[in-house]
Amino acid sequence: MRILVLHAHPVETSFNRALFRLVVDRLEKAGHQLDILDLYAEDFDPRLTRAERLSYHDLSINRVPVDPYVGRLLAAEALVLVHPVWNFGFPAILKGFFDRVFLPGVSFGMVDGQVRPILHNIGKLVVVTTYGGSRFRAMLMGDPPRKIAKRVLRATIRPGAPMRYLALYDMNRSTDASRTAFLKKVTDVMDAF
Amino acid sequence: MRVLVVYCHPVPESFAAGLRDAAVDELLKAGHEVDLVDLYAEGFDPVMGADERRRYNTMVMADHPFPGHAERLQAAQGILFVYPTWWYGLPAMLKGWLDRVWTPELTFKIPDGPGPIVPLMTHVRLLGVITTCGAPRWWSYVVGHPGKRTILRGMRALCARRCRTLFMAHYMMDKSTDASRARFLASVRARLARL
Repeated sequence: MRILVLHAHPVETSFNRALFRLVVDRLEKAGHQLDILDLYAEDFDPRLTRAERLSYHDLSINRVPVDPYVGRLLAAEALVLVHPVWNFGFPAILKGFFDRVFLPGVSFGMVDGQVRPILHNIGKLVVVTTYGGSRFRAMLMGDPPRKIAKRVLRATIRPGAPMRYLALYDMNRSTDASRTAFLKKVTDVMDAF
Repeated sequence: MRVLVVYCHPVPESFAAGLRDAAVDELLKAGHEVDLVDLYAEGFDPVMGADERRRYNTMVMADHPFPGHAERLQAAQGILFVYPTWWYGLPAMLKGWLDRVWTPELTFKIPDGPGPIVPLMTHVRLLGVITTCGAPRWWSYVVGHPGKRTILRGMRALCARRCRTLFMAHYMMDKSTDASRARFLASVRARLARL
């Protein structure tokens, strides 16, 4: 399967980076064809510009500033996100990837002012993420990144496509045991991709 | 009240700019003090780099990457966010401002032992959001208003215990009309006039 692995963490030695390496390693071993998009390594600029905003709904030119990224997104058959949750949301560099690349004509169409999802080349979605706070605290806050993944992204990709949300909460108080158990869980999901 | 207005939109002639102007105007008329942050105008960089991330949990004020923003945040008694909702959340620019400016020691303390983080922004008694959404209201509720929740629940947890909140959204922006926008502007003015 052609899989786009999208990663957003700045620190080489972080647990999140270890998760990213694990994901890549297991998927490669299973013989999948990977396109690795490490937003920090590519120095992605997440700021949607004035020109982009003005041409946002013009399907003939709106993808021009981010054309290579659109190409990679549309060539994928599956999408894996590996990112931390900061302040109950995506890191800015990843939020900006949605803002700038998930465009009208790419991930959704507009019919009479209403959104119609069209990213149907993506037939499987897995999110691997880490939260500083506990699951309870995230729930109190409405857990925005989980909802974005499970409701918005899931509604954007091919209808009925399988989706997994693998989250390790309470990183600020994680232990070797909790991290090891999570690595095992991610390994199992990747091996069965 | 000293209100920090945090404005984020790339297009100076946008409807969001009109909302910002109306908000500032009403706040001043009502006798509040206004400090305006315009993130696109100042070319704020929302991307937290590796070094900053490594130091984040033990960040002390002397190391703050944006001392000017930190001071303005510390001086605020109310914070009003004016931004377009993109992908159900904050524009990356604004999300990065929260990530990079709202640091430990300034906005919260991570306890040494067990227990939740300790809020330090207790001087903030009002958090407000004025936004525009492409999506309809019902779908925004299904998705859970991620942007609203990031600010009015996530960031509010770092503010005063009884911090008041305010949320106003013009939904279905892509079908908006002169009349719907004028109505929304008028309701924003009316709401802020009686803060």
